[in-house]
Amino acid sequence: MLKKSDDKFLSLITMRLNGGCKLTHETEEFLEKYGKTILIVLPAFNEAKTIENVMEELLEKGMQLIVIDDGSYDETTSIVGKVHKKYPQQVHLYRHPINRGLGAAISTGLEASLSKNPRVIVTFDADGQHHIDDLVPVVKPVIEKKADVVIGTRNFQEMPFRKKFGNNVMNIITRIFYGMGVSDSQSGLRAISPDAANIMELHSRDYGVSSEIIGEIKRKDLTLIEVPIETIYTDYSLSKGTDTKIGLKILARLIKNIFK
Amino acid sequence: MLIYQYIGLLIGIIGIIISILRFRDGKMSLSMVLVWITIWVLLLIFSAYPAATTLLTNITGIGRGLDIILIFGLIGCFYLIFKIYGMIENIEEEITLLTREIALNKKENTEKPDKD
Repeated sequence: MLKKSDDKFLSLITMRLNGGCKLTHETEEFLEKYGKTILIVLPAFNEAKTIENVMEELLEKGMQLIVIDDGSYDETTSIVGKVHKKYPQQVHLYRHPINRGLGAAISTGLEASLSKNPRVIVTFDADGQHHIDDLVPVVKPVIEKKADVVIGTRNFQEMPFRKKFGNNVMNIITRIFYGMGVSDSQSGLRAISPDAANIMELHSRDYGVSSEIIGEIKRKDLTLIEVPIETIYTDYSLSKGTDTKIGLKILARLIKNIFK
Repeated sequence: MLIYQYIGLLIGIIGIIISILRFRDGKMSLSMVLVWITIWVLLLIFSAYPAATTLLTNITGIGRGLDIILIFGLIGCFYLIFKIYGMIENIEEEITLLTREIALNKKENTEKPDKD
């Protein structure tokens, strides 16, 4: 269990300097203590531009990494292989021979992570949009056994319109189809306890998996905590993830699932 | 006999032959081959004896014989598309399962030091 003095974590986000790469003292301390027990699931499809930095940043803090290369056809595979050679004990590599989508990659990651006996499993986007400081508030409630799942909620006010619209639509759809309202159903930064990961049944192959996880939280009666996180928007990270087009695609699939 | 009747007969016969060949090659299940042969035989009957459709129009109350064939044809097509869509979805799901299984197994293999 953590000391009471560590409870300052919620103030971390407001204290943090905008976009700064330096970690706060609290983050450093926390990661030193718990870094080795945190297992990061990193799904990657053609992320050659960003994945090396994202991996290095996490590995330097001593965290274990499960990388699922989802059939990438750019340099991702060789870059990940190179980092794996540098940190052979910390990186676990899995490769889908063909691209099967985010949902499939997350399912593989969760299944693989259960055999590693972690204290907490974190899903993290490989496109560099998450800040490592945000790991602390997301991971902490799970380590303290206050929550089974923690979702890092992005600030919709800062989101570009195209993204905001898509994500809002997905929140509404998640509420309608899975009966659970959350502030950011499509966030890629979540912490999941191993017990929760073990009982979750995910079938979605693509971006719909984020909504499905919310559905599983409700169905399996898991405790959910939402914490605010910061998103680093670059042209690159903007080109990935949920926007209006993907929102409509997911909607079509969800409607089809009703008639199945 | 009119030209459309010859065309109907020809398509029906080719359809039956293809269905039987696919069944013999194990590419079609018994139930599906029976469904298809029934469809092709009906096509043969209606092509050879167009008057037979009036029997159906009397039963269903739909005006002309040709209309009823078209309506049933469309319903049949929709049903088949729906079925094919479901089959593709199942195949996609199976491919995903296989892919995930391959990824998980391969990792285990590479972790064994004595493997090359």
